[in-house]
Amino acid sequence: MKDNFKTWFAALPAVPGMLACGVRRPNGKCAAQGDDNNYPAVKIEKLLGQFADFHEPLAAAELSPRWTTWVFEYGQLRFVLRPDKWLLLLLVSPETEAAQKLDLLSEEFLAGPVK
Amino acid sequence: MAKENNIEPELHVLIVDDERDDLAILDDSFRALSEGRWHIDAADSVGEALQIAKKGKIQLVVLAVNTPVLDVSLLFSSFGQPPSQFKKVVMASPATDEMRAASLAAGADLFIEKPLSPEGLKAAFASMSELVGWVLPQHFQSGSHGVGMADLIQMECLARNSSVLELFHEHSLGRIYIEEGQLIHAVCGEISGERAFQKLFTLTGTYELHNFELPPERTLNRTWEFLLGEAVRYRDSLNARHQASKILASGHGAVAGEPAGKAAEMLICSGIGEVLYRWQCPDAAGRLVLLQEIARRAEKIIPEIQLGKLDRLEIQLSAGRAVLQPRADRLIFVRVEDNLVKP
Repeated sequence: MKDNFKTWFAALPAVPGMLACGVRRPNGKCAAQGDDNNYPAVKIEKLLGQFADFHEPLAAAELSPRWTTWVFEYGQLRFVLRPDKWLLLLLVSPETEAAQKLDLLSEEFLAGPVK
Repeated sequence: MAKENNIEPELHVLIVDDERDDLAILDDSFRALSEGRWHIDAADSVGEALQIAKKGKIQLVVLAVNTPVLDVSLLFSSFGQPPSQFKKVVMASPATDEMRAASLAAGADLFIEKPLSPEGLKAAFASMSELVGWVLPQHFQSGSHGVGMADLIQMECLARNSSVLELFHEHSLGRIYIEEGQLIHAVCGEISGERAFQKLFTLTGTYELHNFELPPERTLNRTWEFLLGEAVRYRDSLNARHQASKILASGHGAVAGEPAGKAAEMLICSGIGEVLYRWQCPDAAGRLVLLQEIARRAEKIIPEIQLGKLDRLEIQLSAGRAVLQPRADRLIFVRVEDNLVKP
């Protein structure tokens, strides 16, 4: 199953419009993929760290999210947090295949065990 | 007959704004709108403004207040010439009632919201021209109202003028009567008084300022500051609700024409957190804190991800979604519940 996740995650950058993606494990370790110039792995990992705790105040405000989407002028940033604390980040260009598939990919992440 | 102004061939204007991009916009816009007849000096700091002020006689100072802690009174008194010798305009963003009161108390002749659109710049230009008695080109004699109309009324009242403001959209929509700086009557179709005054602020059209004539009745008896404040608040509230409705209708994932869900909760605040509209929102303070937290987080990541400004945060819930929009002038929270009840 772990291999299945690796394959799934490795295929994400191939989706047209996917700018970067990353995942943060419950122990804080991260893996990230993105354009080395604009979205190097270190930048994506930093974002994952910054937002690792963001769903907690939402849950405290009775807004337990399945996922959150930050909609910017030129792109969208999606965070999906699984109950087992795995956190997925997807950064996509608007009006692209990747943007259209955000919900599908989020559902797959939520449904598929990673270990 | 429209009111007449005295022609001034040129006007020496000093614009002070520490937001350099905004300063350039104000400078370019007012220069163009005056067709080069305003001699404009632009300063992005108080120190630079004082240096410019020492060089020549200023007739109009436009001060953009981007921070509420700026001492407007102290600044006006430090320009090297008696404050009574030049006109003073304060532009604020956001323009709060507190700032308006403080600026007028500090000696400002006119307080307006900092214009952000071409229409707003034009309205601000018209208001300032009127303040200094500078004749506008013919196409400025009437204009679309909104920010401009509030400014014009404020100016007429501050100057203790007597006049009649008439609003048009193909035909006359209504009139506001001002006598010696006091609002005394408003009429809009079949209604009159405060309701008419507020309604006139929500309509789209153009306005003209006429010489005063006695109204058929007197229906307004509160201070102009109160009436104007309430009318602007009412208009802003309607605009904010309209904006919230648009967010609701955006329906991420919804099929065109199909309702995205039913509204469960809504909160609209001004940029500084003043509640403008609240519906089914038991924890408004908590929602406000959340909106401010999102604005803070967005500010942190915007330089890194280089995707432009944040439009909104969407939260997908198990049975619905919430949309949070933290803008400089509005903080909006909307929660909708799914229409479909799952078996």
